[in-house]
Amino acid sequence: MKSLTRLLGNSSGRLRFFWRQICRNLAASAAITLAGLGTSGCSSAVTEQADIVIINGAEPESLDPAIITGQGEARIVRGLFEGLTRLDPKDAVPVPGLAERWEILNDGSVYIFHLRTNAVWSTGEPINVDDVIYSWLRVLDPMTGAEYAGQLFFIKNAEEYNTGKIKNPSALGIHKMDDYTLRVELTGPTPFFLDLAAFPTLAVVPRDSIEKHSDRWIMEKPLPTSGPYTLESWRIHDRVRLRKNPRHWDAANVQNTLVDFIPMESAMTAMNLYLSGQADILWDKTIIPSELMDVLSLRPDCHQFDYLGTFFMRFNVTRKPFDDVRVRKAFSMVIDKQRIVEKITRAGEKPATHFVPKGMVTYQPPKGLAYDPETARKLMAEAGYPGGKGFPTVVYLLKSGKLDEQIGVELQAMFKEHLGVRMELRQAEWKVYLAAQSALDYDLSRSSWIGDYNDPNTFLDMFMGDNGNNRTGWKNPRYDELIREGNRQVDPKKREKILQEAEVLLIREEVPIAPLYFYAGVNFFRPKEIEGIYFNLLDEHPIHAIRRVSRNRESRN
Amino acid sequence: MNEAAIAHLTPNQRAWKRFRKNKPAVISAWFLAALVLLALLWPAFSHPRVAALLPKPLTYSQEAISDAQFQPPSGQHWFGTDVHGRDSLSRVFFGARISLLVGAVGAGVSLIIGVLRGAIAGSAGGRTDNYMMRFVDILYSLPSIVFVIVLFTTFEKTLKQWLNTAFATPMGAKAPLIFLFIGLGAVSWLTMARIVRGQVLSLRTRNFVEASRVLGASHARILWKHILPNVYGIIMVYLTLTVPAIILYESFLSYLGLGIQPPQASWGSLIAEGAHQINPLRIYWWLLVYPGAMLVTTLLALNFLGDGLRDAFDPRGSR
Repeated sequence: MKSLTRLLGNSSGRLRFFWRQICRNLAASAAITLAGLGTSGCSSAVTEQADIVIINGAEPESLDPAIITGQGEARIVRGLFEGLTRLDPKDAVPVPGLAERWEILNDGSVYIFHLRTNAVWSTGEPINVDDVIYSWLRVLDPMTGAEYAGQLFFIKNAEEYNTGKIKNPSALGIHKMDDYTLRVELTGPTPFFLDLAAFPTLAVVPRDSIEKHSDRWIMEKPLPTSGPYTLESWRIHDRVRLRKNPRHWDAANVQNTLVDFIPMESAMTAMNLYLSGQADILWDKTIIPSELMDVLSLRPDCHQFDYLGTFFMRFNVTRKPFDDVRVRKAFSMVIDKQRIVEKITRAGEKPATHFVPKGMVTYQPPKGLAYDPETARKLMAEAGYPGGKGFPTVVYLLKSGKLDEQIGVELQAMFKEHLGVRMELRQAEWKVYLAAQSALDYDLSRSSWIGDYNDPNTFLDMFMGDNGNNRTGWKNPRYDELIREGNRQVDPKKREKILQEAEVLLIREEVPIAPLYFYAGVNFFRPKEIEGIYFNLLDEHPIHAIRRVSRNRESRN
Repeated sequence: MNEAAIAHLTPNQRAWKRFRKNKPAVISAWFLAALVLLALLWPAFSHPRVAALLPKPLTYSQEAISDAQFQPPSGQHWFGTDVHGRDSLSRVFFGARISLLVGAVGAGVSLIIGVLRGAIAGSAGGRTDNYMMRFVDILYSLPSIVFVIVLFTTFEKTLKQWLNTAFATPMGAKAPLIFLFIGLGAVSWLTMARIVRGQVLSLRTRNFVEASRVLGASHARILWKHILPNVYGIIMVYLTLTVPAIILYESFLSYLGLGIQPPQASWGSLIAEGAHQINPLRIYWWLLVYPGAMLVTTLLALNFLGDGLRDAFDPRGSR
């Protein structure tokens, strides 16, 4: 290129000299200013080393317990805000949190919680029943926009309050008996209400901060927290840093003082960071490089276990062509799930035809649609698209990440091969992806669900018509009625039957979703350095129990 | 060849003779011709009737997934296979189609804009010339790749919707490709405009131009009949050097995930896929090495060709 200008030098000599000079000077001064801005912008570097560094999946959507829906967010929020109960680190069953004991009356339809008198906010003020009631009413307030408000619908009149049929909060089944005693009346016997009380949506949040700062309250400094940690800092796409809360009622048993959560969407980068010793724990299913699972699973720091999680695909039933159940069935029947778990995910996942994973004591899921391209083609022809003719190009919404993209490419090839349908991929960042899904701005969408407690209801009630986590546009009065009836039922055998009937509707008759596979839990941490992570069906590992035993930089690989 | 023997040749014939003596340039030209031919014919290879006549490794379709996952290069799959069991050789050639197409069309767009603007500015001269070229200077000061990325992210959805309503549905999927054509062409014409303007300025004071002006020829006629034929050698040279620059831009954008969307591939996206496999445990080297080598070889060949053409057309070059 240089010699070309020599060749043309004589002719471009006519360019006026002073213009060049001016341009050059301008460019130089601009470069200097930019460089100056660059160095002054990043002076506040993280200097203190964290006890434990955790790679936690995508950048959190929010840290507001009422807003979050993802597991990654919940793992951080559980450290900041505690509910009446909390999860035991070993087997994830509910144990006393802010409530030190409780009484269960009337077959489990009335709960009386006795709060600890020594529970205080991290800023020193006591936590009492008013805080609990405020936090729960906030979730139920339609103005909050909590998609997880359904977790509270087991409380008497809560659903009516959330949908606006009842305006007066005193009609709800939440009653203050004194400053430290709370009486909760439920719509019926709810065996898993103690599990719900440990869920982030029901956690206790600071009223004063929220009323003062509204949406931006989580940014207040210092932020009053009710859990074992305080929020030290949250830097977007860098880290969320938690520091031990010395005023927490159980501070003596908190095993570490400073914990970093690193957001990361690239599996290979996450693994490289872990292998080079810059992170201690890798615990999100989305950031394990599946291509390497055959090598990785042989390592002593790879921990595999079963848990309750399903990967599935949502259909947007409000849009053509997926408003037709035959099309939805056809799409569901041409997915070769065996291939996806064997070739792509590779961490011991099991192909899914039903939505609720196996492994719950109280529930045996029914069989769903089997892999059957032949019937699928017939269904497409019946729906008016023989061989995919006349079928529009559809868009598959997915969150960014290599594994999700690979599954997208597989689906693309399967739909094209068996149905003659063209599908485009639309990758979006976690927050954008969640927003698009909630707004029903998609045709097909990659989806996943992790059980919040050990009961089939945590999977089934999300597809009720008014549930914020439905996100398919599918509303079926019979389904809603079956779920309600099932949850009123005291006899476990009868309850199982009713819920099975509902699930059949979901996966075999109406098909607003197509299950792909059940997750297999994979965590990475070096057992010689980290202790206190136990494996359970919810894949929940409360951070206050995690302990560093040694900082051995040599044994990194 | 002695001077007397070639004295009677036209400048273009002389250039051609000089070009043929430049070995690297000639080899590059053959390589590129073979590459373009293969890339053009490649989709036909997987057609069942053609496939029967060809060796098996040449006949895989780039989109067909199979059970042969992560196979290293072998007699079956010359360039190995990827995570979906797709044949990498086939994907590299499909990638070549996209990369070369973007390079050629982008260079074409830059050629049209650059030559028109440069020729008009050069022949008009004076104030018009000044304004037109200052505009070029301003565009030069913008970081072009950032400019394309901004264009991409702001207008992609709009263009997609427009294409979907204006044409049949599959056109919407072509939006990223069309954006690559227009966007990359639109930022690569600046140097072309400057070069052409400079040539026009020097040519229009020559005697033969003066002569035809005296004879009453119009501006357009002089430009078209006398000036452009004299600058086309340099245009050709610069064009061959623009193509690799645009291919590189495209690879860069696709590497960032902005350009081609899966299952389509370009060299940039293939290299990105290969780079994803770099880790301390195990490297599927063939996913990175082959598309990388193809990109490097092609860029090198285009640059050799451009250099060869420049030397051939250089009026001060040895005869």
